[in-house]
Amino acid sequence: MHPSLAFAAAALAAPLFVVTALHLGHDPAAHRAAAGLVHRNGGYVGAATCRTCHPDQHASWARTHHATMTQRPSPSTVLGEFDGRTVRYEGRQGRPFRDGERFVMEVPTSGVEGRGHRTAEVALAVGSRRYQQYFERQPRGDSFAFVRLPLLWHVEQRRWLHINTVFLGPDDPDWSSHAATWNENCIFCHNTAPEPRARATVGRAGEAAQFDSEVADLGIACESCHGPGGEHAEARRNPLARYGPEPGAKAVDPARLDPARSISVCGQCHGARLPNPPERAAEWFRTGPTYRPGDLLLDHVTPIQRDTPPLGGDPEQNQLRFWGDGTARLSAYELQGVLASPCHPKGGMTCLHCHTMHAGDPHGQLRPDLPGDRLCTQCHEAIARDVQKHTHHDPARSGASCLDCHMPRVVYGVLEIHRSHRVENPDPARDAAAGRPNACTLCHTDQTLTWAAAKLGEWWGPKYRTVERRADGAPLELPDAIASLHAGDAAVRAVYAAALGRDTAAVDPAATAAQRAHLAVAMGDGYPSVRWLAQRSLQRLEARAPLGIDLLLRVLDWQAGTEDRRRAVFTTLDAIAKAGPGRLGPPPSTALLGADLRLDLPAVVKLTDLQGRNLISIGE
Amino acid sequence: MNTTNDPGSERPARAALVAGWLLLGFSLPLGLTLEALHALKVDVYLGSAMRRELWTLAHAHGNLLGMLCLVFGLFAARLPEARAVARLGRVLVAGACLMPLGFLLGGVLNREGDPSPGILLVPLGGLLLLVALFGAAVLTLRKGRAGGGR
Repeated sequence: MHPSLAFAAAALAAPLFVVTALHLGHDPAAHRAAAGLVHRNGGYVGAATCRTCHPDQHASWARTHHATMTQRPSPSTVLGEFDGRTVRYEGRQGRPFRDGERFVMEVPTSGVEGRGHRTAEVALAVGSRRYQQYFERQPRGDSFAFVRLPLLWHVEQRRWLHINTVFLGPDDPDWSSHAATWNENCIFCHNTAPEPRARATVGRAGEAAQFDSEVADLGIACESCHGPGGEHAEARRNPLARYGPEPGAKAVDPARLDPARSISVCGQCHGARLPNPPERAAEWFRTGPTYRPGDLLLDHVTPIQRDTPPLGGDPEQNQLRFWGDGTARLSAYELQGVLASPCHPKGGMTCLHCHTMHAGDPHGQLRPDLPGDRLCTQCHEAIARDVQKHTHHDPARSGASCLDCHMPRVVYGVLEIHRSHRVENPDPARDAAAGRPNACTLCHTDQTLTWAAAKLGEWWGPKYRTVERRADGAPLELPDAIASLHAGDAAVRAVYAAALGRDTAAVDPAATAAQRAHLAVAMGDGYPSVRWLAQRSLQRLEARAPLGIDLLLRVLDWQAGTEDRRRAVFTTLDAIAKAGPGRLGPPPSTALLGADLRLDLPAVVKLTDLQGRNLISIGE
Repeated sequence: MNTTNDPGSERPARAALVAGWLLLGFSLPLGLTLEALHALKVDVYLGSAMRRELWTLAHAHGNLLGMLCLVFGLFAARLPEARAVARLGRVLVAGACLMPLGFLLGGVLNREGDPSPGILLVPLGGLLLLVALFGAAVLTLRKGRAGGGR
């Protein structure tokens, strides 16, 4: 061959090879995994396209829990240990195991009756921070639905839990109680640009609802916050155009939106809502929500409030999601909190004043450039100049923390207690009337609401009324934390069960005999979520001021049956009574605990009897 | 060029020169092609970090090894033992071709975290290059010693 011909052939071979190889496809394994669930409607292009120009932003997003909210199962995405060990709950059992490449769960055939089991292959994994839930793909005629499996993996505890134990509900032997359908629930907020495409009447799993659901990305990806990127990406694909002014649609930057539109971006998911008007619900279940970043969310939806009539089901279900004064007590109502905070309408506060999506710790995603109270004092500078004067607490201690007073941890969600996003002042009288936990007694767990009201009155004047009565009917003379732990409804009990072990509490860990004894009682609570929070608090107190009962606390199983739990309570109470004297300071006289650290059990039972007036069950 | 008075030593030199020019002829346009994929933001290329790395390596190794072949071709005639030089030339050319080819094929139909099996050509090519390098070093030193004794 003539040398020039050979050289030309070599030169042509390179682009030909590249084009052919690219035509064969990109990462075929990943492509196959995503096939069948991904659409490119409405100008959505997916995060992979964004990565081509914004690799750093893509990388900073990819490490967040938003990115891993919904995933296909694989060894790198599944957190649970599918090791074949049996998981028992309420007398029945399941078994997560591997079958080659597949992640499989053996679960009871029916919810309540029968001893039969079936196997279900995991088709989707949802969640990655607190816990990970698993969904199987159920054929529905010529379509499909993803249905939640009953066992989930708890990341902190590194153990399997039954789904019935993570909500604010009592123990429930029905293994199918929470077999929710992804296509009509999770799809909306755990994915990008969801299109449920419900064919028939939407209902609970097991009914005949059919779906052809698709999303732009599994998980919460770039276009959830920046809007559909198709037009932007197309315009910027031309290398010459990239160096000139941007033609066509720009990607939305939530930080540059006005406050109402900026909070809309986060609020599209972090604010439980109904379509506006509610009659558009059927349209949502077909083509998905209509809100797009840059819009005003309230033009599309109505945030659910305490008095919002639900679309169906229990007429009280929305009331249960809020404290008596309208403050949200479940997570995913952060938008409602921000809207009710004076900081938003008066100060233009948005989510991005405190949170960032591309920096900092993925847990909480708080701005790393504003550590601690700087989140608040970036605006409230005068308070920062004299913290003692404003807080009446030692500035060096947690009592002076802005957040603990103004955004207390009173919100339940995903088996954890979170901060309220309604920025407000603590008010014991208001809280007592509303039956909600009080910021003061969440730290001062040895004090009464009356004491808290008197302190605030002393510092801030007579606008702080005294407390007349408690909503749960418990005596006012009792420490609020202890009374609430026993007499409150499940949400109150969960909040105080977590607060009693928190390391920011004002009580010296070595003076927590009463807290420990009452937490031991709460380990026998009828609500599993309360039991877990109580056990964890006891473990935390034990870690800070050991009584030598750590091993006992570690082996206790808060998911165990009633009799095992009862034994656990008395064993723990005995252990505290034996090991406590000499190691723990004497309890306050009002704490229903003798100097020998033996509980006044009849008085405690009287308190727990008050729960009967407040039985609740709240799903999420 | 031929200082050993052995007409057979021209053949390995020419083979290495042809391979060197062809490798450069392939690898330089490959670089331009990859640049174009960047310029046009082609996500099937930019979206796979593994593929980008492998093809960039193919481009870089193709160019460098092409130049190495040219250097060998230019100096082969000055080495003693024409038969050994011919063998070395074949080993060098094979290694110089296999290595970039392995990187290139490793980026075809690859998984997210792993190259495709074509990558196995890379260690094979690397081994051949090592052998060629070692052989060339020995020959060069041997020639130096012989020259010193003259």
